[in-house]
Parts: sequence; structure tokens; C-alpha cells
Amino acid sequence: MDFLVAIEQLGAVRLLKGSYYAYPIVNALHIASIGVLLTSVWLMDLRVLGWLRSLPETVFLRLLRRVALAAFLCAVVTGLLLFSVRASEYATLPVFLAKMALIVLAALNLVLFIVLGRNRPEGQAPDRGERAAALASALLWTGVLFAGRFIGFA
Amino acid sequence: MLRNGIGRFQASKTLLAGMLALAMAAPALAHHGWSWTEDGFFQLEGVIRGIYLGNPHATLDVDVEGEIWRVELAPPSATTRAGFTEASAKVGDEVTAIGNRSRDSAEKRMKAVRLTVNGKTYDVYPNRVPPA
Repeated sequence: MDFLVAIEQLGAVRLLKGSYYAYPIVNALHIASIGVLLTSVWLMDLRVLGWLRSLPETVFLRLLRRVALAAFLCAVVTGLLLFSVRASEYATLPVFLAKMALIVLAALNLVLFIVLGRNRPEGQAPDRGERAAALASALLWTGVLFAGRFIGFA
Repeated sequence: MLRNGIGRFQASKTLLAGMLALAMAAPALAHHGWSWTEDGFFQLEGVIRGIYLGNPHATLDVDVEGEIWRVELAPPSATTRAGFTEASAKVGDEVTAIGNRSRDSAEKRMKAVRLTVNGKTYDVYPNRVPPA
């Protein structure tokens, strides 16, 4: 808790806390990052689940995974900034902790998906395990979105 | 590792149920907007125990006969525009807050439209204050 209070006292964080422009801008960038992340996640999951078959899977997933990772990094940076102004307060919110737990589960699910598909030959359809992981991915990331929005009402 | 994926489908179902439960529990917690507050005005008098004047919005923690209430104010820009600044109040000052309390009567939380501290009145939501 002392560590979280120390974050709140950092000079840059205090500026953000009282800012007229910076905080809403960081907020908007966080939303933009999440929009890009969810769009790319849903498109990848739909492709694995059997939609969008006209698009070559390997190229499509490689592109969207890069987009998703870049968007995730932007969301983490902007999210840490939003968190920092009241770190000790947010850290006690059940819905915030639920969001962090969902992100961890989504990351583990990504590892599972990669492991399940590592020996699949090019052009062969994903098996049930991979499709299940794709469905879990869509649900988990959508859950992250909802939990995040509920922080604003907690 | 979960070759047939049945286990994952079960996990997804459990997760979906959890998310629905979360969504339904959510109206109990709230601070964004006014949907979570009662329509009628509510007045709170107590001693300030904590002041937060920052984004995303300012708050006071007010001790009312031993119970700590969370009094929500406007975003810092609007709160400052109302004249309420770091210099306006300190911990230990008596405050009167007029506004709308949470519809959940178990929750010690309100959103203030007007504060009175140290003999001065601050209309943090000027368009929502009670008619004079």
C-alpha cells in the first residue's frame, strides 16, 4: 500500500491528477487502444472459429497479432497512467482486481492457443482445442472491456 | 493438454456466468453520472477526514457520527471553477454537503452539488443546485 501511495506522489502523476487536458487525452488513448485490441482479437478469433475463410490464416493472424500486441502495450501504458492518480484506491476495487485477473487468464489462454497449434501444418483447420481457446479469448477480452468500464462506476 | 477441448468449453461457460453475475452486481456500485443517485435532495453534515482534488473527479471523505461517507464532487476542473481549491478546506473542517445520495441506502455515498465549508458555499454543479 505504501508503494501505491508513493506512486500517487510522483511529480508527473500529481500533474496528471490535476490536469485539464492530459487526463482526458490519456483516457481517450486508453479507449482507442482497447478498441483496436478488441477488434483485432475478435477478427483473429472469428478466423480460427471458421469465419472469414477467404483470408489466408497465417498471414491474417500474423498481421492482427502484431496489431493486437501493439494496442495491448498502448493500453498498458495509458492504463498505468490512469491507475496512478488514485492507485491505492483502485487497487482495493473488486472490479479492478477482476479486470487484472481476466487479463492474466487471457494471457494464459493465448499461451495455450499457441501450444495447441504449434504442430499444425499450414492450411489445416484448427482443431477443437484451438477453437475452444479462440472462443475463450473472445469471451475473456470482452470481459476485460466490461470490467474496465465498470471501474468508472465503482 | 485438453485435446478435445471439452474442458475449455466448460471453462468458457463458467466464465460467461461469472461475467453476467458481475454485470448484474454492478448497479450496486456507481459514481459516474447521476443514475445511481436518488432524485430528491439530501444533506450531509460532518467532519472532513479526507480530500481528493484530482481526476477523474474530486471526492471528500466525511465523518458523520463515526461513519465515513464518500462525497463525490465534480471533475477537478469544474470543482476548481466552483471556487473549491486545495486552500478551501482541510482535514478536520466541518462541511455541509447538499446533493443526491445513493439509491442503495446501505451505501454511505452521495454526489454533492453544493458544499459549505468554513462559511463559504461552493456550487460544484451550479445547474443542479436546489432552487433558492
